[in-house]
Amino acid sequence: MRDRYLKYLLVAPAVLVVFATAVWPLFESLRYSFYAGRLSRPDFPQAFLGAENYLWAVSEEPAFWNSVWVTFLFTIVTVALTTVLALTFALLLAPGGRFRVGIQALLILPFAMSPALIGVSFRFMFNPEFGLFDAFFGALMPGFADIAWLSDPVLAFWVVVIADVWGWIPFLTLVLIGGLASIPQETLEAGRVDGASGARILRDITLPQLKPVLAVVIILKAIFSLKTFDLVYMLTNGGPGNATQTLSHYVYFNGFKYSNIGYSAAVAWLLVIPMLLLTYAYTRLVFAREEQ
Amino acid sequence: MAGVSLRDVTKRWGEFIGVDNQSLTIADQEFLVLLGPSGCGKTTTMRMIAGLEEPTSGDILIGERRVNDDLPKDRDIAMVFQNYGLYPHMTVAENIAYPLKVRGVARGDIPARVRTAAEQVELSDFLERKPKALSGGQRQRVALARAIVRTPQVFLMDEPLSNLDAKLRVTMRAELKNLSHRLRVTTVYVTHDQIEAMTLADRVAVMHKGRIQQLGTPVEIYNDPRTLFVAGFIGSPAMNLINGEIRDGAFHAEGRAILAISAQPRADIVLGIRPEDISVVQPGAGDLDAPVFASENTGESVLVTVRVGAQRITAKADRYTELGIDTTVGLKVDSSHIYLFDRESEFRVDA
Amino acid sequence: MPLSGRQQTRIWNGLQVVLILLFTLIMLVPIVWIALAAFKQHVDVYQLKLFFAPTLENFRTVFEEPYSLGRKLRNSTVVATATVLVAIPIATLAAYAFSRFDMRGRTLLLVLILATQFVPAVVIVLPFFVMFRDLGLLDTLRGLVLINTAIVMPFAIWMIKGFIDGIPIDTEEAALVDGSSRIQVIRNIVLPMAAPGLVTASIFCFIIAWNEFLFALILTNRDAVTLPVGLALFKAEEGDLWNLLAAAGIIIMVPMFVLALIIRKHFVQGMTMGAVR
Repeated sequence: MRDRYLKYLLVAPAVLVVFATAVWPLFESLRYSFYAGRLSRPDFPQAFLGAENYLWAVSEEPAFWNSVWVTFLFTIVTVALTTVLALTFALLLAPGGRFRVGIQALLILPFAMSPALIGVSFRFMFNPEFGLFDAFFGALMPGFADIAWLSDPVLAFWVVVIADVWGWIPFLTLVLIGGLASIPQETLEAGRVDGASGARILRDITLPQLKPVLAVVIILKAIFSLKTFDLVYMLTNGGPGNATQTLSHYVYFNGFKYSNIGYSAAVAWLLVIPMLLLTYAYTRLVFAREEQ
Repeated sequence: MAGVSLRDVTKRWGEFIGVDNQSLTIADQEFLVLLGPSGCGKTTTMRMIAGLEEPTSGDILIGERRVNDDLPKDRDIAMVFQNYGLYPHMTVAENIAYPLKVRGVARGDIPARVRTAAEQVELSDFLERKPKALSGGQRQRVALARAIVRTPQVFLMDEPLSNLDAKLRVTMRAELKNLSHRLRVTTVYVTHDQIEAMTLADRVAVMHKGRIQQLGTPVEIYNDPRTLFVAGFIGSPAMNLINGEIRDGAFHAEGRAILAISAQPRADIVLGIRPEDISVVQPGAGDLDAPVFASENTGESVLVTVRVGAQRITAKADRYTELGIDTTVGLKVDSSHIYLFDRESEFRVDA
Repeated sequence: MPLSGRQQTRIWNGLQVVLILLFTLIMLVPIVWIALAAFKQHVDVYQLKLFFAPTLENFRTVFEEPYSLGRKLRNSTVVATATVLVAIPIATLAAYAFSRFDMRGRTLLLVLILATQFVPAVVIVLPFFVMFRDLGLLDTLRGLVLINTAIVMPFAIWMIKGFIDGIPIDTEEAALVDGSSRIQVIRNIVLPMAAPGLVTASIFCFIIAWNEFLFALILTNRDAVTLPVGLALFKAEEGDLWNLLAAAGIIIMVPMFVLALIIRKHFVQGMTMGAVR
């Protein structure tokens, strides 16, 4: 068969799968969002509501705005913290040598833990009675032992943040190490000969050249933060109350606990918008560099 | 103003010895070239002078001062890297200004000094461009300008011309030589190109497998090579090196007498003779006859290679020479320009 | 006496090592702690003991009723394996085509495939739930394989494409000149050379399918429950039996550690889908 036709044939199954399972549901969800829908009833979906689901979310439902706020705050904080910590770690590990490379290999371990598992582990560690972290903290600051970490709205939020950051640092560190490795050694050595101190080299030479990779890292992490579900579900299940209820979790809750599919579809689509923007930024970055 | 000295310097990585207990003294304002093939230790030596590598043992001195414990930035050196090491996110002007900025030169003084340096390498029109908008030759000049803006004690150059195309290399060679003399700075220059070494150096250190095989002026190295390696490395086309033995008052190779020699009989001798010291003559009119293996016209001369048993000898003939393959020709050797080397030790055996 | 440049460097280096060890400790302690808990008896867990008499009892218990981790382990293995078996061939064909051929809209297609990764799962799961319910695919392994195939496909395509890009095209072109058809070239030349890449991509996709949570949570109920969701069921049924939870966690984690270590060099490339090489 001629190459001309073959190539489309080769690509077709994969493209079909991807679009059938990503594009179609996306638009089907959009359709649901315009209807009232109770999953439990067989004649789903029910009445046509127009944009009412959306309006309800935006104007009448404080829980919606709560989850928007939670998600927003969570994303900003986790992106900032993870990036800074991962960058520090990457700078420490980049120079190479057997010790550092060995540590890099160890970094795979936390990364192979799924967020669900991380959620469980941290719930275990932050238990007020026998949690490791609680004991550690109590040892450092006696009088502050046995804190009900996950029962306090503010503390619970920060526990989720810590768990998320912990889980993503290894991956982002490895990405940044790769980025640092692609900086030509000669630019750094020229800096050393020219007279720059370590801090200056970092500021004037390393970081500017790291900008493209850093941008990728930040956007990627932002996307993953916005999507966060598994961790929240296993760690706090949105609680206490809805103090840690991210948008994904809110969608899940409304869709499958309250069976209100139409509404949760609408909220889900509201989440899609920032994701689209970020995805656009990401692909622009990655493909602009490819063309270089 | 300072010379550079290496005293018993060794660089070793595990089992591998990159530089093997070498000593070298470079005079103030001298242009010294470290010449050798890849892996000979020349770049390692220079990086130790720069402070980018630490010697395993031995001392490095810059201007009488032991600098082993000094960071590169405290050694008052400037370096031009093989791939230039330009800061890609800075303009040309910022690149050149960086050493000054980082060493605390008064902000008001910087632009003038940058301009002067740029003028000296003819880059004045490019100051606002970024490196990726420059050609290879222009980038190289930015690297140069960045090195000279500071007037350091020592210049270090790591194969700065190797990434330029042939024609540009020739032009830049002359410019480098001129620049280094005008500025009167001690220069250490690393290259594998022996023509660069010959044309630029005050003295050349030919290195091989971590050792300096010979240190001398280009003329000395060319006319008086001390080892087989130096003899074969310098000169283009390369010196003919023929394995054989001396007996009965003649040099014998491949079963026949090649040349009459008044020397002690000995075996395992290598005879060295440069192509320009052999002339192509009528068969029978020279020291030996042999069939032509190849005849290459380079434009300014014709290189005639003949087969002698399993070995080959190349002679430089006049550029109008026309010879077919397998034609028999005669070779006349200028016996005042032959060299004899011991095959085992590779050292020169005639004075 | 001021410190020489070299001495300063040495001290700074030492500090770096300390920091690295600190960071690493923080990264590893939670894992180690949970691992320890899996071997503890219930009482030891509550007493925060560092030294204790280890027991394998937990591992035995989780396989019995009502946890029956054995079934979930089997489900996870079947789903992940089947996903890889279905997804990798499809992805390989597509990856080869993307790598070797120019086609109209190639970049666009690649971008779109990449972009699907960033769609939040919650948006997609709703229609899938309805569709699965209507098709009788709820709580079946078949359904899970379907959905996981879709999830891993973009990663697989990108990773394999990256590998194929790295294979010099000369051998294929020589074969084509000699008279092979394109299919023969793929089978005889590209596949063997890309084999390490295919293995890496397979392992990567296996890990993703194994750890997949949201879809498994929503689309299964009893029969087709996988390990990660099994973990969640623990939390509902046994509020505080952490030692059992930890044992289950270990069973989930350890295979993934092993696999991840095998492919660690390509992990980063896979996750960022080529953004960082």
